[in-house]
Amino acid sequence: MSDLQFIVPAIAQVFSLTNLTLIFGGLVLGMIVGCIPGLSVTLGIILLLPLTYSFSSPDSAIIALLAVYVGGMYGGSISAITLNTPGTNSAIATTFDGYPLAKQGKVKKALDTSLFASVFGGLFSAILLLVCASFITKLVSRFASVEYFSMAILGISLIAGVSGDSLAKGILSGLLGILMAAIGTDAVTGVWRYTFGIDSLRYGIDMLPAMIALIALTQVVQKLRDFILAEGKLDDANKIDNEGLTGKEMKSILPACTRSSVIASILGAMPGVGGGVAQFMCYNECRRASKHPEQFGKGSLEGIAAAESSNNAVVGSAMIPLLTLGIPGDGVTALLLGAFILHGIQPGPNMFSKQGVIAYSIIIGCLVANIFLYPIGLALTRAVAKIVQVRYTYLAPVIIIFCFAGAFAATGNTKELVLTAAILIFSYFLVVLDISSTPLMLGMILADIMEMNFVTSMMSYDKDYLIFFKRPISCVILILTVVLVVSMLRINKRIEALNQEQMEEMQKEHEA
Amino acid sequence: MKIKIKTYLWSGIIMGLFSLFMLVMMPSQVRLPMFDSGAPSPRIIPGVCLVGMLICSVILIIESLIFKKEKVMEFDWAKEKPCIILILMLCVFVALTIYIGFIPAVCIVFPVMLFYCGERKPFIYIFTVAAGIGIFFLFKYVFHISLPGIPGLGG
Repeated sequence: MSDLQFIVPAIAQVFSLTNLTLIFGGLVLGMIVGCIPGLSVTLGIILLLPLTYSFSSPDSAIIALLAVYVGGMYGGSISAITLNTPGTNSAIATTFDGYPLAKQGKVKKALDTSLFASVFGGLFSAILLLVCASFITKLVSRFASVEYFSMAILGISLIAGVSGDSLAKGILSGLLGILMAAIGTDAVTGVWRYTFGIDSLRYGIDMLPAMIALIALTQVVQKLRDFILAEGKLDDANKIDNEGLTGKEMKSILPACTRSSVIASILGAMPGVGGGVAQFMCYNECRRASKHPEQFGKGSLEGIAAAESSNNAVVGSAMIPLLTLGIPGDGVTALLLGAFILHGIQPGPNMFSKQGVIAYSIIIGCLVANIFLYPIGLALTRAVAKIVQVRYTYLAPVIIIFCFAGAFAATGNTKELVLTAAILIFSYFLVVLDISSTPLMLGMILADIMEMNFVTSMMSYDKDYLIFFKRPISCVILILTVVLVVSMLRINKRIEALNQEQMEEMQKEHEA
Repeated sequence: MKIKIKTYLWSGIIMGLFSLFMLVMMPSQVRLPMFDSGAPSPRIIPGVCLVGMLICSVILIIESLIFKKEKVMEFDWAKEKPCIILILMLCVFVALTIYIGFIPAVCIVFPVMLFYCGERKPFIYIFTVAAGIGIFFLFKYVFHISLPGIPGLGG
């Protein structure tokens, strides 16, 4: 009954004209950034984030960002099908069957299959999110600052453990992020930390310029470098015909969509497993269960459906740990966590009791974005596909200018521009050393939550540093952290080996 | 010019030295409060991070030198030069934005960048500068954020 109290006003909130317009805009932006190879959903979210500052309601901001996420996951398949180049990591498996089908002149059929499967997967996981969120939050509703601190440790450890091939590098990057967030004036004691006499550093490093430099600008600069090295040459895209997906074909791909959505939803809810990993497992499983496995890799509709429903199913399920526990599942949800914090929302069990309407607005917004994706995709895919053929030199300067303007908007001070440039140089240095910036970003985002709960715990329990092990739930979380990191590392290695095997096999078949 | 970088070894050395330097600087950079407010020391979080980083750095060096676990990255100057030049251009853009304002900086840096990228058609230059001016006014009038204006002329 209490959930309904929140759900009813949340539905009214989501269906306001402003939110519907934002969902539309977010989906289109997501489709555009998703379909351009080299750009990603994270870039779309970062571009939109500064603009959401002017929104009066925080849930509208998060709904718009989620729409970018949903649109971006589908957008990745457009270039995978038309160019044989996945727009995002999550659309690699789509190229296995999407491109061969496009080569047969059935581009529209491939795109429609991808759209249908994306919407199916997205809706499946959004409904799962709606059902599970309240249940999980009730389980963890008795958490106090001690448990929240342990949860933050769990979040950072899991992402650090599964980012890249070295646990040491991942943890190092995460700790560096926490250290960067600690720079500036300590909120409790008022002491300056590592400011080195630089006035600008007294106010600390703001999250938004750091995210812009680490993710967006690094991506754009690397893509621009590739453009220069390729001397501005563009790949030839397949033209879109008019023969779409029939009702019978739609029915035939339903089992693949369902199987793929179930697997991806389970994988997506596990921190550290994104759409990139889920797609191969789902593709493999659907091929194994298919009546026509021989058609996989040669333009099978089931193959496209398996890959696409998996990456969109990850969107909703990755939101489950984020909304209920405050733990981001991957890089994109880590960014969304940053967005939540920038808008004054603290995800976790308290969000459902204190800001229930906002929590359910976000979940229902995710559901509505997935529903809207179908008509918008049908209407705009042809137009969005043309953007792939726009010279990158038109887009890159605009994105860069927008990024710097967005970084400045964080506080309205020019120090943000200097910090953005400095972090960009640092980010390039990390690329050279092969250190992933995702744990760093997550460290920066979670540092405040971690320190605040640490200080509260220490003040409440008279500086008893062992309290994190004395309180049973906290102790269980910390033990779970160690167990999960070790097991996730093993699972990840196995999945990576399986993916590699699968990818090589598929590419061989593809080339043949 | 191609340089092979042993990423485990160099990450370990660089980050290890960095964390050691920061640990040595801690007493002067993170002073203890004059009175006890009941809150934990402001040195705890950075201290734990730096010690953790130092341990990870040592692990990386051991992995590289003793267990021969290594990931070698090839730094090809010919391929990386555009990246470095683009980053430098963006640093110049930031400096110019601060000293002469956002729009003049856009008008100077981005045409140079496009020229460097090999673009010669005038329309792309006009489009970029117009987009820069458009973004300036979008932030000013829609989001009510004044990007740095030309000194003396105001926002």
